[in-house]
Amino acid sequence: MSERYLQHTFENGLTIVGQRMAGMQSAAMTLLLPAGAATDPVDRSGSATVLADLVLRGAGARDSRQLTDYLDSIGLQRSASVGVQHARFGCAALAERVVEGLATYADIVRRPMLPQTGFDAARDLALQALAGIDDEPRQKLMIALRAWHFPSPYGRNTMGEVADLEKLTLDLSRADFQRRYRPQESIISLAGNIDFEMVRGEVERFFGDWTGTPSGPIELLPPPGRFHHVQQASEQTHIGIAYPTVQETDAEYYAARMAVEVLSGGMSGRLFTEVREKRALCYSVSAGYSSLKGLGSILAYTGSSNDRAQAALDCVLNELHRLHDGITAEELSRAKIGLKASTIMQGESTSARAAAIAHDFFMRGRIRTLDEIKSAIDGVTVEHVNAFLAEHEPGPFTIVTVGPKELKLP
Amino acid sequence: MLSFHRAQLPNGLDIVAEENPDSHSTALGLFVMTGSRDESPKINGVSHFLEHMMFKGSSKYTWEDVNRIFDEIGAKYNAFTSQEMTAYYANVLPEFSERAMEHLSHLLRPAIRVSDFTTEKNVILEEIAMYLDDPGHRLYEKLMELHFGNHPLSMSVLGSAESIRQLQRDEMADYFRQRYGPGNMVLAATGRLAFDQVVKLAEKYCGSWPHVDAPRHQPAPLYKPQRSDLFDAKLNRQYLMGMTPGPSAQDERRFAARVLADVIGDSDGSRFYWALVDNAIAEDADFGFYPHDGCGSFYLAITAGPDRIEQAQKIALGELEKVKTDLKDDEIERAKNKLASSLVLQGEVPLGRMRSIGSQWIYNKEYRSLEQDMATLMSVNRESLQKLMVDFPFAPMTVVSLGPGSQGGAPEA
Repeated sequence: MSERYLQHTFENGLTIVGQRMAGMQSAAMTLLLPAGAATDPVDRSGSATVLADLVLRGAGARDSRQLTDYLDSIGLQRSASVGVQHARFGCAALAERVVEGLATYADIVRRPMLPQTGFDAARDLALQALAGIDDEPRQKLMIALRAWHFPSPYGRNTMGEVADLEKLTLDLSRADFQRRYRPQESIISLAGNIDFEMVRGEVERFFGDWTGTPSGPIELLPPPGRFHHVQQASEQTHIGIAYPTVQETDAEYYAARMAVEVLSGGMSGRLFTEVREKRALCYSVSAGYSSLKGLGSILAYTGSSNDRAQAALDCVLNELHRLHDGITAEELSRAKIGLKASTIMQGESTSARAAAIAHDFFMRGRIRTLDEIKSAIDGVTVEHVNAFLAEHEPGPFTIVTVGPKELKLP
Repeated sequence: MLSFHRAQLPNGLDIVAEENPDSHSTALGLFVMTGSRDESPKINGVSHFLEHMMFKGSSKYTWEDVNRIFDEIGAKYNAFTSQEMTAYYANVLPEFSERAMEHLSHLLRPAIRVSDFTTEKNVILEEIAMYLDDPGHRLYEKLMELHFGNHPLSMSVLGSAESIRQLQRDEMADYFRQRYGPGNMVLAATGRLAFDQVVKLAEKYCGSWPHVDAPRHQPAPLYKPQRSDLFDAKLNRQYLMGMTPGPSAQDERRFAARVLADVIGDSDGSRFYWALVDNAIAEDADFGFYPHDGCGSFYLAITAGPDRIEQAQKIALGELEKVKTDLKDDEIERAKNKLASSLVLQGEVPLGRMRSIGSQWIYNKEYRSLEQDMATLMSVNRESLQKLMVDFPFAPMTVVSLGPGSQGGAPEA
């Protein structure tokens, strides 16, 4: 591996990945912990979300206010979120500030105070966020689409369920913390103006003696069905369509990815052209590749006025089916240059690269360099993509709608 | 090292550029000083609708050409319209700068064909419907309308379904001729570029655009304390927003205003955070600064359960009074350090710098380097914030709310 990249797994199972970026003053950090919604206990969905909030309410020697004030005083731009597979903590700032913050992030994920008042507030906020979903039908649609497309527990709402959150207690959260905040399967990534020897030393110093117990594999159960309608008095009917495709580590991944670009890469993408530009059935229409470990999917969305939603659904489905017949050389050429430009531009943002190399390591056990991605894109041919599309007929489709009336499904 | 350059074409088009040899890409943006505040009520929504029509082709290109050509060069491109500015931009690999420039120039000379106009009208109506499913947006529109009253900033960016249905193609063409003169625009370029080349391309592709005078009315807003509650039984949550005068986009005090807004209502670690969100009285409580052309606003936005909104509002307004008397140096330093980080991070990405330089030029005809912005930010102190709150004492304030708890309120029109 070239000297611009770093990858090292410590004895306790924690991995550090890094990328040095010329000309940058900043650095960014991403910390992934194996504490996403998929590993929430069966009857306690939302636990991961409450925990990711709770650990920030005081850690090490600092109480909640001292901790926040300290991280603010060194100017860290911060984020914390919970996905299906991970709890994610991120920060970005001038490089030396990010390195300075590492000790405190070790406090947060290893020595949080987990106070009762903080727990009550974190759970209350999680319940409030859940109550807000009904007010935003598009968000409601995406949550329902995931629940009906992905096998459980991957399809779980990361925000949890009301009944489960109401049963959650501080003691349960503390036990959950012991179980899931651990070095095994955790990844810390740093990108930007960094010195590898130094950051590796600092990470070892603050995380090297972290211990924990790895957990077993997750049992996957099929989703409840493939078609679902949620009744809602909304202005538009919100439509979600999902179907499986090859996973990110598959040899055919780039071919599958190009097909998604042809569908929805730019404004000349098929969905935008057919659903919006030609027929004006929507403002928003898109499809994207969704990657979970072991599962690749295509998720598509559109929203259309209630009386035109049927036409919009039919049009999107028609475009998904039409992929099976293949794409043109011109379409592929645009898809390739579009993806390549995105890849190169990602190299201008320390936050984007920190997130990307952490994701790479989780998916593949190694970092893809920007050059590797570029040459993989260059290597895709139209014959290759069309052979892939001929072999993989899009489907079976999961279709979920949110709106005042059900649509006719195929 | 970064270097700044500027030039002006004979037709009045300003060109500003910040060259960064470390960048991997080039960002180009055409910023036009026009938006919904420059519309009459009869054609409300035309600025935004016109922005859509720019992508429908020129005399030389069809809409399919426009989309295809941008995608052929791998451009990340888009446009946005606000109450007072419309911008078109593309971020490309350096080797595609010329094609991007040529293409942007075609974008801004639209054919506005009747058939495209008729089709796109339905897309705009879909966009309006989409935002009606977003309570935050509904409330924001109501807030602007009420707060600015007869001032043109009260005009909705999207317009109403009614104004869009009535709009005629020729009314849009007239609006375009009156507003899209080169003297009312700036071309901003950032990232890896050669300035001489940018000027040559601008001359080649935009040099023939006719000059037009596009004055903007600047009436003084008439603010008054007011409140409006909109009732919607469909909603679960109660949404509340407030707006009160602040410095304008031209005002030196805008830097202090940004720091003050973060001290009071940044999403984390601010006074609103500790008083409202940390204890879960509200799910969200933000205080922000929104500078406009010739005037400006501070705003607050709170989301809470209908049973807690009154308490939340009382606490928020209490904090706005308290901060006038007990402002601390260390909270100001923290807010400044966070803002400094965001300046650095934004400055490393060409698209971020392009937006900053373009809008700065549109409002002030001034270039500010990252170092200048940083120095001004760092010079903000307790005295400047205290003086700011004497000049802008968070009054009068317009307050609007939306949700199931506004029983006494009127159903939203």
